[in-house]
Amino acid sequence: MTTLPGTRRLLTTWALLMALTVLSMVSARLDADDWQALPLWSAGLVIAATGFKAQRLLMVYLNLRAATPAWKGAFVGLVLLTLTLIAGGYLAARLS
Amino acid sequence: MTSRDLPNPGWGPLSALPGNPLMWVLILSEMLVFSAFFALYAVERVASTALFDASQRELDPLMGGLNTLVLLTSGLCVALAVEAVSAERIRRARQWLGASMALGVLFGVIKGVEYAGKFEAGITPETNAFFGFYYGLTAFHFAHVLFGLALLALVTWRTSTENVETAAAFWHMVDLIWILLYPLLYLLR
Repeated sequence: MTTLPGTRRLLTTWALLMALTVLSMVSARLDADDWQALPLWSAGLVIAATGFKAQRLLMVYLNLRAATPAWKGAFVGLVLLTLTLIAGGYLAARLS
Repeated sequence: MTSRDLPNPGWGPLSALPGNPLMWVLILSEMLVFSAFFALYAVERVASTALFDASQRELDPLMGGLNTLVLLTSGLCVALAVEAVSAERIRRARQWLGASMALGVLFGVIKGVEYAGKFEAGITPETNAFFGFYYGLTAFHFAHVLFGLALLALVTWRTSTENVETAAAFWHMVDLIWILLYPLLYLLR
């Protein structure tokens, strides 16, 4: 059994994940009356918040912080690769 | 970290991963599968930008956001169940598992309401490529939610540290995939 994150860390992470989700929703301008393409900075903020959420979920909820740096790097790298795909597809469509 | 300190000695390269090593193999493979779908989505989006933009307007990002908050809170409950069972507080662990499952069901209800609204408006997976992806990706994810709920129910019955830890890892993977799916389908426009 590895060292678990502990209740305090879990609650802090949960609060952070909730805040980042709300930040994503605000960045995506869900309050706007009419549908419009996001400014690039908003899209960047959405992607950055998503990446940070995924990293926190891996490290704390899934307790990957107890693994070796190589495994941490592999999983975070895969998340970054996925986000690059998402961001790349979005940008290519936006700029085409 | 010496080999004796590893969480799973005897598992070769997987020895250094916490929890059940096979669950990490599953998480890795699921992430790769979804990433492949995301890549396909990206290619299709570039090819049909106007169609994807118009179709994305039909989605309700607030419902998607609400579901994200629900699933993340469910993830917290299941993580707290792991903490409880490792402290041999079985009753408390079962309570957290119950809360987690209730939130998982709520996720399903919200998703069901969303699907029902789309079907009522005549929007089906065959409407266009965007909705093919929307239904395909969210239904595939929803199948994981259902399987995760069954796993959580099973470990609520057969409660042990190893069982709860393994089911929790699966449930967090369901969280992780949704975190990536939400901006892709609902937010990035």
